[in-house]
Parts: sequence; C-alpha cells; structure tokens
Amino acid sequence: MQAILATLLLVAPDWVVSLTRERRPNTFWAEYILWPVIQILVVLFIVLTLVAYLVYLERKVSAFMQARLGPMRVGPWGLLQPLADGIKLLLKEDIIPIKADRAVFIIAPIVSVVAALVVLAVVPWGAAWATIANVNIGLLFILAVSSVGVLGLVLAGWGSNSKYSLLGALRSSAQMVSYEIGMGLSIIGALMFARTLSMSGIIDAQQADGVWYVFFQPLGFLVYAVSALGETNRAPFDLPEAESELVAGYHTEYSGFRWALFFMAEYSGMIVTSAVAVTVFLGGWSLFGLENKIKPLAFGILLGLTLLVLAAVVFRGSRRAVNPKARTAGAATTILFVILALFAALILPRWLNQDSARVLFSVGVFAAKIFLLIYLYMWFRWTWPRYRYDQLMELGWKWMIPAAIANIVLTGTWFVLALPKSQGGVGLMHEVNKRLVPNWPWGIAYFIGTAFIVTIPIVWLLLVTINRRSRDFNLHEQRQLQMQLRRERLEKMLQEQPRPAEIAGQ
Amino acid sequence: MSAAKTPAPKRTIGQLIRRLLLLDLFKGLMVTFRYNARALYEPRDGGNPNQAIYTEQYPLEAARVSERFRGAPRLNLDPENGSTLCIACDLCALACPVDCIDVGSIRREVREGEKVNKKKVLTTFTFDTSRCMFCNLCVEACPTDCLELTQSFELAVYHRAGFRWDREMLEKGINYVRYAK
Repeated sequence: MQAILATLLLVAPDWVVSLTRERRPNTFWAEYILWPVIQILVVLFIVLTLVAYLVYLERKVSAFMQARLGPMRVGPWGLLQPLADGIKLLLKEDIIPIKADRAVFIIAPIVSVVAALVVLAVVPWGAAWATIANVNIGLLFILAVSSVGVLGLVLAGWGSNSKYSLLGALRSSAQMVSYEIGMGLSIIGALMFARTLSMSGIIDAQQADGVWYVFFQPLGFLVYAVSALGETNRAPFDLPEAESELVAGYHTEYSGFRWALFFMAEYSGMIVTSAVAVTVFLGGWSLFGLENKIKPLAFGILLGLTLLVLAAVVFRGSRRAVNPKARTAGAATTILFVILALFAALILPRWLNQDSARVLFSVGVFAAKIFLLIYLYMWFRWTWPRYRYDQLMELGWKWMIPAAIANIVLTGTWFVLALPKSQGGVGLMHEVNKRLVPNWPWGIAYFIGTAFIVTIPIVWLLLVTINRRSRDFNLHEQRQLQMQLRRERLEKMLQEQPRPAEIAGQ
Repeated sequence: MSAAKTPAPKRTIGQLIRRLLLLDLFKGLMVTFRYNARALYEPRDGGNPNQAIYTEQYPLEAARVSERFRGAPRLNLDPENGSTLCIACDLCALACPVDCIDVGSIRREVREGEKVNKKKVLTTFTFDTSRCMFCNLCVEACPTDCLELTQSFELAVYHRAGFRWDREMLEKGINYVRYAK
C-alpha cells in the first residue's frame, strides 16, 4: 500500500502533490522519467484514437458533401466503424511480395510512422504541464523530423520493387521536398516577431503582443496553409495517391497493418501540420486571455455544452437509420453523451482547481483550433479538383516560394522601420524581456496595415510579373494556336502553287 | 489572304476581380458546405434529388423504382372469381422478339351458363426471365391485360433453372428466401 502510494506520488504533477501532506520521494524520476512516460502514453492513445476517428469524420464529411449517408452499419450512426476497420487491418494477412527487398519493405512504414509520431512530443497541447517536452528549438525539430517521413515513402517505393510504387514514391517525394521549402520560408515572417523557435515561446510571444500572428502575417499563413496541403499529400495536391488515376502510389504493395501504419502517418501528419499552424499563426492554446480567467464551473459547463451538441448530432444522425435496433442504439449513445455532459457540468468542476481548469480549457481551445483546420482540409479535399503535376510544381516553385521570400523581405523591412528610436527606427515597438513588442495600438495597427494593404498587393504584382508567361497554361488554347499556324502554312503553300482544279479549269 | 486571327478573349474587370480574390473557389466551397450543413438537420427522403441526403438504404428499406419501371412478369387473375385472365391466344409469345414465352393450351368443352362451348384453355405458361429483355411488347400484345411486367426487380436466383418461371410462379410471384438474422 505504501509502495503504491509512493509510486503515485512519484508520477503525480505538482498540483496533485500539493493537495496531500506527503513529500515527493524523488523529484528527478518524477520529473524526467515517469511523468513524461505517462504523458507520452496519454498523447499517443488520444492521437491514435483521434486518427481513427478522423478517418470516420472524413468519410462522413465526404458523404454529406456528396449527398450520401456515409458509414451507418457498424454501431449507431457508424460510430464503431474505426474499431471495425482497426480490427480488420490487424487481422489481415501480412503480404510481402517475393521480389520485394524484405528489409527495406519492412523498415519503410516504421520510418514513416515514427517520424510522424515523434514530433508529437514537442507540440504544445496546452498550458503548463500539458506539453511533453518544451524544447527551445521545437519548431525546428518538427520541421526536421517530419521531413524524415519522405525517406519512408522513398524506401517504400524502392523496396516494393514495383513500377507503380516507384513512380508514386518519386512523385510524392518530389512534391514533399518542393513544398517543404515554401513551408519553411512561410513561417520565418512570424518568427521575426516571436524571436524564438520554442513552441510555447511562440504562443507566449503572441500573448505578449496581444495579436495572433495570422494578422501580422496573412500571406505567410496562406502560403503555409497551401504548403501544408502539399506536404501532407492531401487534395488538391494528392497526386501521389490519386485514386482515379493511379493504383495507389507508394503504398501499392502494402496491405494490412503495414498499410495502416502509412495511413496513420498521413493523418497524424495532418494533425501536426495543423498544430504548427495553430501555434505559429493562430495563437496556440490561448483565446484572448480567456484561458486565464476561466473558472472550473465555467469550464465544466462549456465541456457539457460541447458534449450536448455532440449528443444532438449523434441523435439526429442515428434517426436516419432504417433498422429499429440501430435507432435504439443511437438513442442509447445519445443518453450516454447526455450523462457525460451532466457529469462534466455538475461533478467535474468539484475535482478541478483554478489551475487545472485553466490547463484543460487551454487543451480544449488547442483541440478546437486543430479541428477547425482539419475540417478545412477535408472541405478543400471534397470540393476542389486535383492539380495536374506540372501545375502543382509551378504553384510550388513559381508562386509559393517567391511569395514566401518576398514576404520575408517585406516583413523585415516593416520590422526594421518600426524599431525603437534608440535603434534607429520610427519607434513603434518597445523592448520587453529582450524581445521587441509592438506598441499598443499604433504599432499593432502599423503591422496589420502594412501586411494587408502593402505587402499583399506588392507580392501579388511580383508574382504576376514572374509568371506573366506561364499563367493560363491552357492545353486547349495551345492546340488552337497550333491549328491556326498550320492553317496559315497550308494557305501560304496554296498561294504559291495553284490548286490542280484551277489548272483544269483553265 | 491571311487567316482570320482569333483575338484572345479580353477579361472584363469583373472577371479580373474574381480571379484576384479567387471567388470561384469560394463559390465551390459554399456549395459543399451548404450540403454538409443541410445533411446534419434536414429529414431524409431516400431517392429524392432535392434532399440533402440521396441515399436509399436498400436492403433495409424498399428501393424506389420509377412508375413505368418494367420488372418481374406476372399473370393477373380475375379479381371476381380468381380464375386466370389468360385466354391462351399466344399473342404474347408471337410478339416476343427473343422467344422467351411458351404458352401451352388445350381445346376443352367449357360450361358457360346453360351453353357448353368448346374453348381454348391455358394449361402451362413458361417465362424465361434469363432471356427476357423487358421490352414490354408482350404486355402490349395481351388483349385481356393478363400479362404484366411489375415493379419488382429482385430476380436473382441461385441456379439457372430458377430463371424459368412456371405458371404458378407467374401468378403468385417469386417466393423469396428471407433470412432472419
């Protein structure tokens, strides 16, 4: 009993320990080994469940956008579909083609999924203890490790020893490499304001400035969002796995659990790129300072309301089922959600103190922002048609990268002009903790104004100038031009030598 | 003589603004978003093109077929006395372009009130649904509205012999195997 208590105390965070009269036995183990392990397990569990339910969400969203129902047969409103999919993929036969390079074939999905999951460690899921590792180069770490994922794709394409896989891998690696540049360049403008690469540091900087960096960097956010779509191989840039054109892309020869690993890597890549966008541009887990004022009761009621909305959606959806058993199950699930909501609103606040309510609320805010971005991804995917390969490369190299570079130059110029008077600028910024913070309100108005009114038109003109010859690359028009040239040539020939009929007529 | 050059179509200012603000992309997004939002609250009416959800959950609910759909054949009975309406005139078999109908009949003395008439009477009626192309010519040929193509479309069977529908099947309809779960 004593031992269990001691272990529990070892792993408990400070706010739990402060409730008891015991002293923590060994802080080092608690701080650096046990508590991180628990955090890792919790984050992995939540993210992997989330990945499974993102697939469900994607299927539902696509179905609704196409006037269909989506999964309806497994569980009420198809809510247990991810479970069934998971079991199916786990139990499937593990096929390795005879001519495949066994070692490479086995390593490839592991590389892919590890690269995608390792970066979850530095994502700031919430305030205070809701981050696994607060590294001071967090953003650099994410960019570096997630580009190792390309290696997994290349290995998969090469190791499968199949032409479809190889072509798919070539396409996706070329695409990911070229969009990574735009992605890396697009966040530099925001980093100029943040002055740090630490993920929580960037969020703190946005809180200190009082503005989300999306308002200082609208162009940077736009370029980041487009590059993130290209980086995660999602529509309208999903050429590597275009269902209607290719067999499958780099994972053609994969089946069962190995294929599921690639799938997991793709969807957790989506979560990570959205998390970076939320952190750098959308203020991370902060919500206009509301997270510092939230009371446990208010948090419980908010959570309860969210669950009630979910319950209503599930109830409405499950009423669409024809089979009476499914309707009963749907009603039962709704009641379960309502009970959870009541629990969240009535009992949960008693267990929370001010600090834990703040952290949980910040986690909720972060999750909501990520969810919004992911919905945006899905919305784009099921609305817009796919780019052609040359258009994709053109967009990456001729539009996104020049736009990002011009954005850096212009943002730097605005930044230098606004320096404090002691450093030779106009004096729209002042120094706080060795970091330059724009003055309220004129400094902030200056940066927002220059970003929207000056930077965007200048960059647009620049891009139009760069691409004046390649815009409207139109196959139909080109063919018309060819036909016209040929017609002119033929008529010239006819003028030079008269037609045989004319000779006969004379 | 020079070829008539087709001038490149000039963009109007409206088109230019559209292009600049990517309005067409947002228009597309609004269409899909409207469908997504409607799908969450609108009641479902399967098979209705104006509904947010078009899906018919077919094996669980009856699938909708159009009014003039031509499916499984049926021999109608006289609703008053339950005897067949078929007069064994063989017109349907003659009309059939793929010869999938076979009408068997005998001449027999039939008592009608006080008189006794010698009449052609239907004995067998074989309809090969595997060859039928549901062209409706037999139905149009039928003088007594006896043969009819109904809206039932579940014609699959386990072996080819099942495609030959005899007179009893045609009068009573196919005997579906219903599996209880």
